[in-house]
Amino acid sequence: MTQDSSRLRLAILGMVVLSLFCALLTRLWYLQVLASPTLKVEAQHNSVAVVYTQAPRGRILDRNGKVLADNRVVLALVADREEIEKHPAVLPRLAGHLGVPVELLHERLADDRFSLYKPVPLAVDVPKEKVIYVREHQSDFPGIDGLQLTERFYPNGPLAAHLLGTVGEINDKELGPRKAEGYKPGDAIGKSGIELTYETELRGEPEIAKLEIDSVGRVQRSLGGQPSVQGDDIRLSIDIDIQRLAEESLAQGIDLARRSTDFLTGKPFVATGGSVVVLDPRDGSVVAMASNPTYDPNEFVNGISVRRFTELNDPAGHYPLNNRAIQGLYAPGSTFKLATSLAGLRHGMITPRDTYDDQGSYSVAGQRFTNARGARNGIVDVSRALTVSSDVFYYWLGERFWDSRGRLGTAAIQEVARSIGMGEYTEIDLPFESNGRVSDPAGREKMHKDNPEAFPYPEWYTGDNLNIAVGQGDTAITPLQLANSYATFVNGGSVYAPRVADAVLNREGVEIRTVEPKVLKREDIPASVRSPLMAGFRNVVADPEGTAYGAFAGFPLAQFPVAGKTGTAEAPPKQDTSLFTAYAPADSPRYVISVVLEQAGMGASAAAPVARRVLEGIAAKEGVATAAPTAVNRVLGRD
Amino acid sequence: MQATRARGRPGTSALRHLDLTLLLSTIGIAAVGLVMVYSATRQKQESAGLDPAFFLKRQAVFLALGLVAMAIVTLVDYHHIRDYAPVIYVVAMVTLLLVISPVGTSRRGTQAWFQIGAFQFQPSEVAKLVLIIALAAVCAAYRGHLETPGLLTALGLAFVPMALIYAQPDLGTNMVFVGIVIAVLLVAGARPRHIAVLALLGITALVLVVELDMLQDYQRDRLTAFLDPQTDTQRSSYNLRQSQIAIAAGGVSGRGLFQGTQTNLSFVPEQHTDFIFTAVGEELGFLGALSLLGLFGVMMWRIWRAAVLARDQLGRLLCVGVLAMLVFQIFENVGMTMGITPITGIPLPFMSYGGSAMITSCMAVGLVLNVHMRRFS
Repeated sequence: MTQDSSRLRLAILGMVVLSLFCALLTRLWYLQVLASPTLKVEAQHNSVAVVYTQAPRGRILDRNGKVLADNRVVLALVADREEIEKHPAVLPRLAGHLGVPVELLHERLADDRFSLYKPVPLAVDVPKEKVIYVREHQSDFPGIDGLQLTERFYPNGPLAAHLLGTVGEINDKELGPRKAEGYKPGDAIGKSGIELTYETELRGEPEIAKLEIDSVGRVQRSLGGQPSVQGDDIRLSIDIDIQRLAEESLAQGIDLARRSTDFLTGKPFVATGGSVVVLDPRDGSVVAMASNPTYDPNEFVNGISVRRFTELNDPAGHYPLNNRAIQGLYAPGSTFKLATSLAGLRHGMITPRDTYDDQGSYSVAGQRFTNARGARNGIVDVSRALTVSSDVFYYWLGERFWDSRGRLGTAAIQEVARSIGMGEYTEIDLPFESNGRVSDPAGREKMHKDNPEAFPYPEWYTGDNLNIAVGQGDTAITPLQLANSYATFVNGGSVYAPRVADAVLNREGVEIRTVEPKVLKREDIPASVRSPLMAGFRNVVADPEGTAYGAFAGFPLAQFPVAGKTGTAEAPPKQDTSLFTAYAPADSPRYVISVVLEQAGMGASAAAPVARRVLEGIAAKEGVATAAPTAVNRVLGRD
Repeated sequence: MQATRARGRPGTSALRHLDLTLLLSTIGIAAVGLVMVYSATRQKQESAGLDPAFFLKRQAVFLALGLVAMAIVTLVDYHHIRDYAPVIYVVAMVTLLLVISPVGTSRRGTQAWFQIGAFQFQPSEVAKLVLIIALAAVCAAYRGHLETPGLLTALGLAFVPMALIYAQPDLGTNMVFVGIVIAVLLVAGARPRHIAVLALLGITALVLVVELDMLQDYQRDRLTAFLDPQTDTQRSSYNLRQSQIAIAAGGVSGRGLFQGTQTNLSFVPEQHTDFIFTAVGEELGFLGALSLLGLFGVMMWRIWRAAVLARDQLGRLLCVGVLAMLVFQIFENVGMTMGITPITGIPLPFMSYGGSAMITSCMAVGLVLNVHMRRFS
């Protein structure tokens, strides 16, 4: 054989090869030249589905443009539902690869908030190596793909958490009224703080992708659409440096209180939390607002676990999610004497020169009311009464108001307190604010009627009027209301709605809307009324007998004069609430601060040193020569 | 015949007869393959935030390794290779046995890989080449008259790897084996009726495997989808349809490189591996796909020519085996993307992403270059 036979057979083989190639070429010709138009048309007989993808949110900036809430790009693993159904081994394998329970992946896959026409995000913020591995071993993970997603990111962690708020998945209650705005199940939405208040501005415009869908719901091709537009930025009036200082000082103050002994009980203070508010009294803008304990809003970004959320709501943790500055309600104690003093002067119950001899106690209807620690302050006028915190002076004033109720009504002091914003919503641009209450006879009667068991006594006695005069009793206000009432006092009577946001900026950083200061009400507080009180507040800090003198020892009062008022509110069965509120510079205030520490003792001991440290930092920022803020020191003090 | 003549030594004398046309067409196809792998993976990698050139870089490494392997195979006289055929065969069979043991790695229900660091090695790819060498070695001894004992030996040699690969299971690779066996036996001088019986047996076996529930559902779906592409319930026919729509969308001149929406929007699955030709069809159009098939045509022509010119039967059968292997894979893979052949996991030589296939194909061409340049020695 034959060379010929061999050649023949090779020729046959060659013919076979040739014919196979011809078959391929024919088919190629058919598909690409002959049938091309038909197949293209055929593809167009499908329906169109619209798929929304949320835009990256706008950023949140502090007053100097420092970024407080940003976006970052994370890697996600997404799944094609149909492919996963066909390869049941993929999810267990992926769960093993990611180290998560497979049930979690099944749950995500079945979650109906994800579009049917979009791959389901099974895992978000996946380490890069894990995504690379999956992409490289595509045949191990059919239907699984890697994708970049943009998600909320708070670069400073817990800093300003209560102000910024959190973002989470929209729920049915939120979705209902927002459907018209194009929200879809599964969308992220602001849940609290600025994220919620300015949701509309921060949200941006979602990407709209039009997809061609065939008769059984499979994506055929993209028909275009419109790209997403990132939301606008919100610039806050917050100064992040002062905010940081306030949070640090607050934490130090709480820590210090826990290490100090309550000499009444001999036990350490529980010091469950507290807050610091710094306002600009000239326009109501919020410079800083701290609440402690706190949390990290980043934990909420991809949906917080049930376990962690339960932890955050455990009473043992003292509710870190609450913004105590606007939600915490506290008896104001002696800080309320501002309202009593204003009422006395306004209604002519006293003049600035009227005095009372404070012998340490005041008796009415057989009941004896004393100063804190039984101090005797001697002959005091209203200014002096504020400086040394004479309760007796205000008991006297409280009784006189009650005696004059026929002329002034039963709630003359309370009305003045409300006129400077106590016990009423401040209308700050943050959600979930509490209004609190300034207790009065009508209110007590109503509470009794509504709930006789909890409030068995409908009557208002003279003693109650003595209590209200010194800020004790059922009265409860928020730390923000406290700061805002002093802001109203120092600015001459304008109650501003405090603002955290200052302006809305577009992507180029151009201001497209200014959040204007808003005056809720205005009641003139004439200089003749203000001056004696301001002198009294100033001496609280400056006079050696002032209640906060010790707390401000060494503070550069000459360059940066501070005036303030301490408060120690009884809150049985809990330990005393420590309060301090101040403004600076004392002659033309640009800052009002209020500090409230729960179960931490005297206002002068716990709250005033915290305020001092924050004011030190503010003074340094204002260019007043002072050493950098040192640690908070607890001081011995009165009231 | 002239078997006693001195064998050519690897050296410059033989290299003068190197088939440059074959070498260049091979490199040309591989270069197109690199570009298409990049085009098919770039966008998805980017959207996942990963290196867009990741697959391109790895494929380039595979090609470089393949060219080195090709050079080695070319330089060692194929008669030496024949002498070591028994050893090579036994080693390959043991490897195939190991891969279905727990040592091997399973993917998608097929146990066909060894995981070596970041790379996977698929022994069934190399086994194709080993079978070609073994068949050629045995059949060449019969000098063109393949009688029953030789035929049975050859079939026995083919049966062992096919049984082991059936156990993985990998139907597609076994179909390539059938193609190789039939082509080599044909040229080795098997009787026409033997060939006819073998072909009938092959077809019957395939039908039995499909009909007797010896496959996973998805395997059967894939295999039979091309027969009835209108059945919408099968994902396989969906892939197939998408692949055809993509190729049709390319039209005469294509959408342009990197512009394929079907390809890049991932409507076509596995577009950088098994469905790489879809990307060619969509992005480069009829003219581009035709050119690529033209390059493959040149390659096949040179291999066929090497078989014709081969100095001895051993060289001829080696070339025929390689020709059968490559042609079968090209026809099956390209035909699959256009809906005229069943969907199997057979890669397109020199084009599909993957190391084992690339190196095997390069070595196969090396074998042909080897035979061709020693045709006078």
